[in-house]
Amino acid sequence: MAGTPSTYAGVADVATVLILLSEFAMLRAPLLRSQIRLYAFQSLVVTALAIVIASTRHIEELYVLALLSFGLKVVLVPSLVLRLLSKAELELGGSSALGVPSMILLAIGVSAIGFFSIGSLQVHSIALPTTALAISAAVILVAFLPIIFRADVVSQAIGFFSLENGVSVASLVVAAKLPLVVEVAFLFDLLLAVVVFGLIMRLHHGRTGSLSTEELDRLKG
Amino acid sequence: MSIANLAPQGVQALQVLTILSGAPLVSGVISHLEARLQGRRGPRILQPYYDLSKLFRKETIVPDGSSWIFLTAPVVSFGCYLIVPLLIPVLTTYGLPLGYMGDILGGGFILALAGFSVALSGTESGAPFAQLGGSRSMTFGALVEPTILFVVFAVALLTGTDLPYALAATVRSSTSEMVRPGHVLAAIAFFLVVLVDTGRIPVETHSGTLEFGMIDEARTLEHSGAPLALLKWGSAMKQLILYTILINVFVAPWGLATSGSPKAVAFGIVSLIAKAILLGSIFAVIDNLFSKQRLFKITEFIAAAFLVAVLAVLVFYTGGG
Repeated sequence: MAGTPSTYAGVADVATVLILLSEFAMLRAPLLRSQIRLYAFQSLVVTALAIVIASTRHIEELYVLALLSFGLKVVLVPSLVLRLLSKAELELGGSSALGVPSMILLAIGVSAIGFFSIGSLQVHSIALPTTALAISAAVILVAFLPIIFRADVVSQAIGFFSLENGVSVASLVVAAKLPLVVEVAFLFDLLLAVVVFGLIMRLHHGRTGSLSTEELDRLKG
Repeated sequence: MSIANLAPQGVQALQVLTILSGAPLVSGVISHLEARLQGRRGPRILQPYYDLSKLFRKETIVPDGSSWIFLTAPVVSFGCYLIVPLLIPVLTTYGLPLGYMGDILGGGFILALAGFSVALSGTESGAPFAQLGGSRSMTFGALVEPTILFVVFAVALLTGTDLPYALAATVRSSTSEMVRPGHVLAAIAFFLVVLVDTGRIPVETHSGTLEFGMIDEARTLEHSGAPLALLKWGSAMKQLILYTILINVFVAPWGLATSGSPKAVAFGIVSLIAKAILLGSIFAVIDNLFSKQRLFKITEFIAAAFLVAVLAVLVFYTGGG
């Protein structure tokens, strides 16, 4: 067993754990609105983490990144999705193919895979401890669960967006000094995804009158 | 002139006495505060003491057909709650003579025995609500058990032992021990366990009279007189014991006596009660912020606690812990 991590590593790890916990909370949140708020909170923690790394490790590019990700992921995306949602007033809650306790158990299993597979890689980084990489892998894997098991467009979109949060944390660990251009291109990817998912939500809601994807088995004829 | 240090045995007896006499006070303060937060005047802070002395003077009624278990169980559970304070750091940072008799699991077993005997006496009464309470408390107790085990695993990974004194010493040793994710997660999980075990709001209405939502409270519906006083006192003691473990082992193990000097021990007593009241007021605020969950939603709450405890263990294996 490794020794005690430093205070900085401990705090950074707790922040990444917070990101993972909000991912789990998204998984169990019954209301679509609360899922979106949790996503905003998760993005806020990612932003804070970026600022902390920028100030302690003196990587100025990360300030710009933090600013961009705050504007996009904490403010813009959640408010856009909330607006889309307010047009579809019919449904407040999504539906799930699995009950909450079994979903949580499955998520624990999936995140354990993430922890152990990445934890054994021994990647060393200047910005964050290795644990953060393992946790971000768990975030990415757990984010797949709402995409797979939730049968409504909003949960699936939020699952995808939070997957991107996991990828951001992973990139903070592996390549904190990634050129800003790449990072920005990365964020525009997210913006594109928001546009696509927004289109899908609108289109789907327009055609079927609901956000649920369960109707989609009746496409023929 | 310096005053002689107290003998370790004396300090140990004081630990039990502190829990015994402080528990009703802590309950009284919490219920007073709870009432104030809801805009009521609330009972007097010393009300639990008055309640206990009244109940001790009342006659004891035993339901028809119930056996000796009905009257023995309250005594057994009370005895259990007197034993646990011997095992945990209530007043001192150093282990007292009987402190190494059992580890965290040992203390957990004794608490479980107490809960079991109360549930048994509820079942023994033959009354439907008391039986319901006994059955429910055992069911949810079993569901909470895995969480407690994983918290103990996390503690064992942190310290290499599962002695409560060792964890408290580790937490005190440096800030980086306080903020490491394994410890933070284990503390959160234990906080949630305390919420369940003391029958607080997302799980149970603490002071309600509605039988349908009752879990722990329903077990004692058929008791009266001195046995009921013992049960009430015992449940207040259980609450203070769990608070003590959360405070003095996980969250804030400061202000404890490092030697047997009477001054330090007295300060330990005062600081324990003050910290317990502070923690209790957090619980009172939680009580007012959230609503009680439906009985079948409690599993979700417990699943969340379990998740946090499992994560605590998992982060240790990635090296950061």
